[in-house]
Amino acid sequence: MAAVAVALIAFSTACAGGDGESPSAASDSSSATISGSGVQAVVEAANAFSNSLTDEQKSLALLDLTQQDAVAWSNLPCGQSCRGGVPLEDLDDDQAALAETLLKTAIGTDKAGYTRVEALRTADDYLAELQSSGQGGGPGSAPSGASGAPSGGPPSGQMPSGGPMPSGGQMPSGGGGGGLGGYGAGLYDLALLGDPSANGTWMLHFGGHHLAINFTYKNGQVSGASPYFVGVEPTSFTGDDGTQYAPMEDMADAVKAVTAGLSTEQLGQAKLKDSFTDVLLGPGEDGQFPETKQGVQVSTLNDAQKQAVLAAMRTWVGVADDSTAQSMMSTYESELDSTYISYSGGTDLTEQGDYFRIDGPSVWIEFVCQNGVVVQNQVHYHTIWRDHTRDYGGEFSF
Amino acid sequence: MTVVAAAVFLALLPGAPTWAHPMPNSIMQLDVLSDSLTAELQIPVDDLSIASGVELRRVDANDVLTRRATDLQDYLARHLAVTTTDGRLWIVKVGQLHLGEAEQTATGPYREVIAHATWTPPAGADIRRFVVAADLVVHEVVTHSIVVTIHNDWGAGEVAHDGAGTQIGIIAEDTRTMNLEPLMIELDRASTWRGFTAMVHLGTEHIASGTDHLLFLLVLLLPAPLIAVGGRWRGAVSTKRTIIRMTRITLAFTLGHSLTLALSALGRLQLPATPIEVFISLSILIGAVHALRPLFPGREALTAGLFGLVHGMAFSFTLAELGLTTSQLILSLLGFNLGIELMQLGVVLLTLPSLVVLSRTNWYRPVRVLGALCAALASIGWILARVGVPNPVATLADQAGQSGIVVVIGLAVLAALAFAWQKRGGGDANGSSAEHTTPTSAPSSDMGTAARIGDI
Repeated sequence: MAAVAVALIAFSTACAGGDGESPSAASDSSSATISGSGVQAVVEAANAFSNSLTDEQKSLALLDLTQQDAVAWSNLPCGQSCRGGVPLEDLDDDQAALAETLLKTAIGTDKAGYTRVEALRTADDYLAELQSSGQGGGPGSAPSGASGAPSGGPPSGQMPSGGPMPSGGQMPSGGGGGGLGGYGAGLYDLALLGDPSANGTWMLHFGGHHLAINFTYKNGQVSGASPYFVGVEPTSFTGDDGTQYAPMEDMADAVKAVTAGLSTEQLGQAKLKDSFTDVLLGPGEDGQFPETKQGVQVSTLNDAQKQAVLAAMRTWVGVADDSTAQSMMSTYESELDSTYISYSGGTDLTEQGDYFRIDGPSVWIEFVCQNGVVVQNQVHYHTIWRDHTRDYGGEFSF
Repeated sequence: MTVVAAAVFLALLPGAPTWAHPMPNSIMQLDVLSDSLTAELQIPVDDLSIASGVELRRVDANDVLTRRATDLQDYLARHLAVTTTDGRLWIVKVGQLHLGEAEQTATGPYREVIAHATWTPPAGADIRRFVVAADLVVHEVVTHSIVVTIHNDWGAGEVAHDGAGTQIGIIAEDTRTMNLEPLMIELDRASTWRGFTAMVHLGTEHIASGTDHLLFLLVLLLPAPLIAVGGRWRGAVSTKRTIIRMTRITLAFTLGHSLTLALSALGRLQLPATPIEVFISLSILIGAVHALRPLFPGREALTAGLFGLVHGMAFSFTLAELGLTTSQLILSLLGFNLGIELMQLGVVLLTLPSLVVLSRTNWYRPVRVLGALCAALASIGWILARVGVPNPVATLADQAGQSGIVVVIGLAVLAALAFAWQKRGGGDANGSSAEHTTPTSAPSSDMGTAARIGDI
């Protein structure tokens, strides 16, 4: 009896990942082989990562699971003033490898998953290069053309009170670009909220400029893979090695396929009278879903049109790990008849104000074109995927 | 037209952190006058073009603005409704429009339209409780927001120092209802006391940041312990005499600037800013030269008084901006001047002892010369900057002015060191250096000798 008890205790300690003991994941970090599967694998990777951090890094990356910390994310290049987590650039090679393993385990495997995340970070390096070589506009840079010099100093970068703010770690006082964090692939922050465990409730946050990934885990399941903000500037570019990048072109194409497949009458029903120059429900707008759905109801569409809507959704939902994405899509498919699609501006997604929305009982997706900030002669994309009930795993009420 | 509109607003309303809006928001700055409200509106060109139908996202935006000014003014007037709490409309008037440049957090630089509007309440309505039903731009661009601030409200002690003022609300779409909630404003209760104390505070701040005014006074104090002989500064008068002279100079300056401050403010004179500011920098230059070689020995107090007359005109600019009633103005004048004098007194009290102590030592000459040269350099930089030639000297001088306290402390430290050095016999107590020849007569007749030489 005692032997069974001891064995059980040993087994559960091993599963919980222990203190100071590197789980098997760490020893194979470079080849990213994880023992176990699904959430168990993510937990192991998360613990391997957190165990590798110094105390100072831990104060940034390991946060409490509170509403204040959970909603502290942004799409702006505001560094650590608007989001929690340890910046990737602060990690040494081993820690960075563990971080990468964690992200690859948690995020989906196909083009809608980790591939897109890497491409977005490359885009940010591209923006940083543009700014430093004087070719781009944007915060803290000189304006292009325009009569008269702009106002003097950069915005003061004061800490607003009352808005979402991460509670852990230090708030840095400055950084490049007028009090903001600036652009760069290393300026993406990784945080764990709560205690990663196989059966507990905890969150994974990863984000920076134009990116916010918020995964919630509960009882061994992914209880929420949203809010997921994803945007990109510029929409396409050539990397240093000659590779062509267009990190969100599949999403834009999928959206255009939906509107292109609608009849004139359906387009008329789908058109919103309001204009949009950003997503409606960005950071800080948790729970503020419109009470009335607008646009054309998907139940009135034919099968091909419905498939186009689902294909579009998949480009966002694919950020979650493959099995979670699959079950999310099943849910959204079952709710298609009560889902509405709408748009504003144009359907080409080339002008500021071109906007598209999917609004279902659960799913909420927005895609909008905004004028360039750094590359000022073209639009850039802002999009968000939310879920009416599963944002932050439904842990908080707004 | 260049407008400084860089501001990070405190997110006072839950759920609306400013970093959620990388498209710049509009700003509505309210000034509360005695019987009306004025607003300065700063509206980003992009969203305004979409909402108003007047396309300003073009290189020739200025021409478009001139041609379509009436259309835009009509648009703004229609979307700037203010009502009483029971729904009666205030009268809206929209004035001239012009274009400016601005930048907000993470937006990069952008162009904006700047408009001034006046709201007059209907008869009998409370000017301090009203509903801003304005929906400009937001009625169309539902992701836009308007930040409303109180810029000037004398009675509530709100006197804008710089920037947009105190935020009191945000006009934005409620995304749940997709409706715009009107903004109910209840201003703090007004009182003369609050207005008065705000003006005292403004006065202290104004002169604390008014490096040029203080520098003028200090540069005139530099030769106060000295006697002019044969076109050079020589000798030193007694401590008592020094203090008396410094007091007279300070008083004369105070009288001079108080007089013109009162006259310009009460007379609501429209004075040209640039010539006055150039003159002030010139006054510093003259004072600095005088501290090196006596130009008007014994007449420092007179000079302080005369030049002070011009300094006072500059002070009146601050009051002119506030749009006050006459009774408010009189109180403001008293308060503002009181603030100025209190701060000035503080600065003089802090530096006077150091100067006096230093003047008893043979360190005084280098201090005086260095001080005068720095002041001269700063004044030349400022003169050039004010006539439109920006230069690094002016910028450096402005920055140095921000850390004036460092200079004050530095002087005190120097004085202490010089005093200790002197005590140790580092210099001949009877003064072998030119600066240090004390009159050989007894202290009681110092006044006599010095009076004859130094106080014509």
